[in-house]
Amino acid sequence: MPGKQAWFDENRPREGKSAEEVWVGDVAGQAVPACGLQDRIGAVRDRVRAAGQQVCVVLNEERILLGMLRQKALEGDRERIAGEVMDPGPKTFRPSATLEQMLAWMREHDVQTVALVTTSLGRFCGAISRADAEATLAHDHAHDHDHVDSAR
Amino acid sequence: MPKEVFSAEEVEALLAAGAQLVDVLEPESYVRDHIPGAINIHLKRLDAQAASVLDRSRPVIVYCNDFG
Repeated sequence: MPGKQAWFDENRPREGKSAEEVWVGDVAGQAVPACGLQDRIGAVRDRVRAAGQQVCVVLNEERILLGMLRQKALEGDRERIAGEVMDPGPKTFRPSATLEQMLAWMREHDVQTVALVTTSLGRFCGAISRADAEATLAHDHAHDHDHVDSAR
Repeated sequence: MPKEVFSAEEVEALLAAGAQLVDVLEPESYVRDHIPGAINIHLKRLDAQAASVLDRSRPVIVYCNDFG
C-alpha cells in the first residue's frame, strides 16, 4: 500500500500512543464553502456570506485544493473569477498533524479564520476554525485533568 | 503473485480475509502510531529469522511511511 500516511489521510483507525491525541483529521469539517477556478467573485461572495463564513476554498473536479479566497479577495470586483484573485498557495495540514501543532501555527501566524486540511496528494479533506480548534483542545485538556484528578 | 501497491480499501479487505500486516518502520514510529493489527519488524531487521514469526500460509502486507 502507499504507506501508513495514506491510511491516516483517509482518517482510518490507528493504534499506538497517538490514539490518545486529537489529530487534525479527527475534527476537520466540510463547513467551509468551496468554488471552482472560473466562478465569479460576486456569486462566491454571496454564498460565503449566506453560509456565515469569511473564506472560500478553490477546488478542481477531483477536490484538489487549488487556492483560497480570503476576505480581501471576496470583497473585490464581482466580475473577476476565483482563479485570478485567490491565494494559490495556502498553508495546509495533513490529517495526521496534531491539533496542538495546527493551533500553535495559527497562534504564531495570528490566523483567526480557518486552517485547511489536505492529503499528501492535495485532496481537500476539510477545514477547522480557530475557535473550534481552541475549544476542542481546551475540552481535551480539561478531560485529561479530570482523569489525573480521579486517579489521585 | 506479489502485488506492489494496495489501496486502503484493498488492505482492509485482505486483513478481513486473514492477511498479516507488517510495519517496517523504526520501532519508535510504530509505538507512536500504526495501522491496527500490524506487527513491527524494522526493515533493517527484516531477514528470514525475523520473518519466521509470520505465518507462511497467509498473505503478508508490508507498509512503510509514505509514497516513494
